[in-house]
Amino acid sequence: MKKFTILLYVVLTVGLMIWGYYQAIYVAPNDAMQGEIFRIIYYHVPSASVAFLFFAISLAGSIGYLAFRRNHPERAQVADAWALAGAEVGVVFCTVVLITGPIWGRRAWGIWWTWDARLTTTLVLWLIYVSYLLLRRFAAGPQMQTLAAVLGIFGALDVPIVYMSNRWWRTQHPAPVFGGAQGSGMDPSMVGPFLWNMLAWFAWGMMVLGIRYWVERRSQANAAADARQALNA
Amino acid sequence: MDQAAILDHQFRVAAYVITWVIQLGYLAWLGMKWRTIKRDARP
Repeated sequence: MKKFTILLYVVLTVGLMIWGYYQAIYVAPNDAMQGEIFRIIYYHVPSASVAFLFFAISLAGSIGYLAFRRNHPERAQVADAWALAGAEVGVVFCTVVLITGPIWGRRAWGIWWTWDARLTTTLVLWLIYVSYLLLRRFAAGPQMQTLAAVLGIFGALDVPIVYMSNRWWRTQHPAPVFGGAQGSGMDPSMVGPFLWNMLAWFAWGMMVLGIRYWVERRSQANAAADARQALNA
Repeated sequence: MDQAAILDHQFRVAAYVITWVIQLGYLAWLGMKWRTIKRDARP
């Protein structure tokens, strides 16, 4: 039953991705000002939203690890696995944002990159979580998970700054399309394709996050078995 | 199709292709990691 549910979820997700692509390319109209290049929005914005969500999951996992590490070691390991999975898959989505953004910017603004608030804070966010992953990869010893959890909490503090950056400061990056000032928003003919792509990328992201979490739990089980074996030797 | 529209199309395709290369590349890396962990699993 569990295998069937997972398979069904994967099939639905792949179906959603195909449907989202169809909506983005064949249903949504070209933007009146930007033309076809505007269609990058259907990949760029959902990727940013998923990255933010996963960094929030990483934050919750990091807090959970710090809360449980002394009295509930098993719960702490679960929280740590979520923290790692959220950070790693979040970095993947954030990388997509940082590559598709400049491709879009090159056509829309005539430049690949500028050190404006939105772009810079996003790059800093990416660098913080890459540091987090490097710490987890190369640091050793019992303090590694604790240090990573602290870094994960600090890293998440940048997420609201990234989100608010083009509200707080005048930036090269456009003002928010949703939840922005009066007059912001999207043409109704684009809203449907946009929401389908949001749903599709969330479903895809959750699938990848689930796989990463499961791989980490298996890795933890192997490490625990190794430790038991070493104690018995 | 004018030159600007052709460039827009090429840039849009590049963005989509790169997105999928990153996503599927990461998924493939996860698959390899999973195989290694499964191989090293203790009874």
